[in-house]
Amino acid sequence: MTGRTMVITSGKGGVGKTTATANIGTGLAMRGHKVVVVDTDIGLRNLDVIMGLENRIVYDLVNVIEGECKLNQAMIRDKHAYDLYLIPAAQTRDKNSVEPEQLRELCAELEEEFAYVLIDCPAGIEQGFRNATAAATEAIIVTTPEVSAIRDADRVIGLLEASGLHRPRLIINRISPELVKRGDMMDQRDVENLLAVDILGLVPADEHTVVAANRGVPVVHNSKSSAGGAFLRIAARLDGADVPLMELEPKTSIFSRIKEMVGIKGGAYSHA
Amino acid sequence: MGHGRLVLTTGVVQVITRGADVAFVIDEEATFDVVAEELRGFLSKQDGLWSKGDITLNVGQRMLARDELAQIKTMIETHSGLTVTRFWCAPESLDGGEFKLETRSETESNSSRIPKTLVHNEIAVAKPVRRTTVKPQAPVEPRTPAESQSSVESIIEDLKTRHNKNGARNRNRTEALFIKSTFRSGESVHHPGDVVVLADVNPGAEIRADGDIVVLGSLKGWAHAGASGDTKAVIIALDLPSARIKIGKYEGAAPTSPRRKAKSPAAGAQIAYVRSRSIQVATFAGRFARYSKGVPYDG
Repeated sequence: MTGRTMVITSGKGGVGKTTATANIGTGLAMRGHKVVVVDTDIGLRNLDVIMGLENRIVYDLVNVIEGECKLNQAMIRDKHAYDLYLIPAAQTRDKNSVEPEQLRELCAELEEEFAYVLIDCPAGIEQGFRNATAAATEAIIVTTPEVSAIRDADRVIGLLEASGLHRPRLIINRISPELVKRGDMMDQRDVENLLAVDILGLVPADEHTVVAANRGVPVVHNSKSSAGGAFLRIAARLDGADVPLMELEPKTSIFSRIKEMVGIKGGAYSHA
Repeated sequence: MGHGRLVLTTGVVQVITRGADVAFVIDEEATFDVVAEELRGFLSKQDGLWSKGDITLNVGQRMLARDELAQIKTMIETHSGLTVTRFWCAPESLDGGEFKLETRSETESNSSRIPKTLVHNEIAVAKPVRRTTVKPQAPVEPRTPAESQSSVESIIEDLKTRHNKNGARNRNRTEALFIKSTFRSGESVHHPGDVVVLADVNPGAEIRADGDIVVLGSLKGWAHAGASGDTKAVIIALDLPSARIKIGKYEGAAPTSPRRKAKSPAAGAQIAYVRSRSIQVATFAGRFARYSKGVPYDG
């Protein structure tokens, strides 16, 4: 099998890289693929917590690279999804304990066994970023519709293109349809125009995501969550399915929908 | 000459062939007489080596007087049956510095070979002397030094007038740099000529050009035109939203006061230029249009 190695990166911290990695990985596994997610945020590992696997860690990424254990000893099978594995980062080491070339070799080995190798990239553009991006052949940029996150995404896209990772795809996370509608938040077109890359998915701000992370169960398992649905669609798009981007609409009450139907303008959310 | 085959190397002259072309690389330190002797000795021993192709003479940073140039020209023409048809050098080094002398064999110049495109400061000799009966193996009668000297002079004069016509503004300019994809945050470039961006320039990107900057997109990053001090340089962009820009030594940011903002060009391409010691912006109406007072940028 020749798998696809993708890096999930953002530049800025806290935009949802790790959440996206866990959910896309789970989503792809739910579609029947063999998936491994690799946490390269050495020293600040989170992916295991989001996936609820932190107390199963025996060996980690650095152990594998330094030859202290076999590759499959460090792979932790996910509790919820079938054929999803995690290689956790070391918590007691730092980013400099791994070289880009070592990660490249590791991912080449993983690609033989897995259909998808997802690399969770640390924030920043230093050694950790170089390690994480070295092995990947595809890149997914996560951003939020905020100027600071977009500025960093722009920088990261430039760095990826310079290192030969062309046409990265963009996930805009934590969109608040209400704010967009009011004109208080950038919409997808603004972001798309500024960054000039293809959009892979739009993920609405959803409190289910926070709850899911705290419980250690990725939000894609929650069928009621709008964010979970968005991540499932992203996984489908990565898988080659033709799923159109969903326009995010603010939640409206039945009352206002009836108003709209009979032609009464819906107050602050009326269409421009 | 990196991929050429080294044919001969004496202490002073290196002869490198690449395909049909021949290059002479001459030591910068050796005296002219020594070089001339070496060159003459080598040329007289060879025949047929340059029956086709170009001959390049690279003298490096050597200071070369005009009569010496004429002597070399005569020497090559005498011993190889070639005619100097092309000659180029940097305008700054007319009285010394790097000279490059290109000759082409007579048989070649008569064929239907497509002429080389000229380098920015290269000049083609308008009417090359045609000597139809010359064969490379049969050296021709050397022309008198005076005749040879005068043709070198005319070449140099021609070059000088052309150079002056372009004015000092184009001095040292290289070709324009084309940036064909979005120029992103953290990317920076300094180009000694004009820069053309066929996409947006995003915030956090830096462009420094000794010439003009043209952005066929939205210029949101930092741009400095005329970076070597030329205040006649301009910045042209389809959209100039909130960029901080610099032309020559003048720096400006988009106006923040509502009154000036209202006067800013609303639509269409915009041009930023220096007028009355400040940067002004107007709707673009051609590179050489006469722009009246535009909207001044905050200094």
